[in-house]
Amino acid sequence: MEVTVLVQAVYKAFEILEKGKNSEKAREEARELLYTSAKFTSETKAITEKQEARALLLSAKQPRLALRNFTLTFFILFAFWILLSGRFDYFHLTLGGICSVLVAYLCHDLLFFNIRLGDFRTRARRFLLAGPWFMGQIFSANLHVAYLALSPKMPIDPQIIRFKTKLESDISWVGLANSITLTPGTITVDIREGEFFVHALDQKVAYDLNTGEMEDKIAHVIMEADHVYIQDVLDVASIFGALK
Amino acid sequence: MISISDDIIIRTVSRVLVPFIQIYALYVIMHGHHSPGGGFQGGVILGASFILYLITHGLEDAKERMSELKAGLFSSFGLLIYSGIGLLCLIKGSNYLDYGTLSTLLRVVPAQARSLGILGVEIGVGIAVMAVMFSIFFDISTGGVLPEDEEGLGTRNE
Amino acid sequence: MNNFLLCLGIGLFTLVFLCLYRGIFGPGILNRIAAISAIGTKTLVILLIMGFIYNRVDMFVDISMVYALLNFIGTITAAKYLEIGGEI
Repeated sequence: MEVTVLVQAVYKAFEILEKGKNSEKAREEARELLYTSAKFTSETKAITEKQEARALLLSAKQPRLALRNFTLTFFILFAFWILLSGRFDYFHLTLGGICSVLVAYLCHDLLFFNIRLGDFRTRARRFLLAGPWFMGQIFSANLHVAYLALSPKMPIDPQIIRFKTKLESDISWVGLANSITLTPGTITVDIREGEFFVHALDQKVAYDLNTGEMEDKIAHVIMEADHVYIQDVLDVASIFGALK
Repeated sequence: MISISDDIIIRTVSRVLVPFIQIYALYVIMHGHHSPGGGFQGGVILGASFILYLITHGLEDAKERMSELKAGLFSSFGLLIYSGIGLLCLIKGSNYLDYGTLSTLLRVVPAQARSLGILGVEIGVGIAVMAVMFSIFFDISTGGVLPEDEEGLGTRNE
Repeated sequence: MNNFLLCLGIGLFTLVFLCLYRGIFGPGILNRIAAISAIGTKTLVILLIMGFIYNRVDMFVDISMVYALLNFIGTITAAKYLEIGGEI
């Protein structure tokens, strides 16, 4: 989402420069706009401030989004009902529909708490494609931990690793924590103010964690933390201005 | 006073799981004929979902979803459904809870009327059990003392 | 196939007793809570194996899902109680 904001800010800055015919006032305005957008997407901002700004911008709990949440929750719960009861006659399907409507009415703001921009279909497709990679990770880590546990002198080297993460919303934090815990050899101990405390069993597992591959995969699936460095945008803007 | 849980993992996972637990509880109530389950078991699972929400999200958020007043009303409502169906059979001129006489009301064969009658009774039992489990847990864990009561002491005229 | 599953079930059943040792003699309450949670997980798998042996899997899946749910809620409640030291 932040890449979109920056790209739009750059377009608007160019429009301002064109309309003002590169005068001093127009340049001042464009510079002001670029600095404001840079401050919004800046990586040095604390995570809580960013979440508040994002919530203000997206107005996460708008009443008009309640209908969309309600219908999505209804469909997911009805699919779960059909999965549980294998009977497809009208009576049971009607009962399932009534129960899904009731539960979706009571709990519609629970499943979709953080309203996100971003394409739903792209995220679903990336989620399905990233599933086998996670299973492969779990499989290979299983073999490694089995080797460690069964060798006679048990060469473990337990350590607690502490790292800051670049993910922003709480669903992605929980997804990362659960993936780390599911992979044998690492357990998430705590999450405190955006820092993860992970207990790792030996050096190889800790090294696999420190490369940050799992975090990149989750950020790729959920489509967040797509930052662009501000200095590149500003450099490119000046080159475009000189070419004009 | 039940406080909100500090751990973000527990809070998020509980918030995502509660709708699925409730759908599973309703499935268990409705399919009492065909698989293990029925009214009481489904009511216990439904009550457990509210208790999970109460433990992980604290007292204020849970009271918005199911207050003590609503729990009391739901328990009476479940009992009303149960005895209402029984009285309806009595009014139609047969024994108490003899569902066969409901066949003229619902326009189905008597065997189907018995099945639907039992389903209705199970739904009533499930709602009542859910409400009673939630209110027992609520009363025992808070000890009957709510945050707003603590300030009221000392301002009563006696 | 039934014999294979029966041996699996008996193997898991003996592992339950190892966890039970930790549950009785574990120094401190945290060891005991972890042991009971592990016993709950093994019980759930043993119930599913029984379902396969009796050839009525659909019935036993319902029961084991309920048991998993109760295990989860129990562990979370016990952990929260111990963390805050006397209050839920």
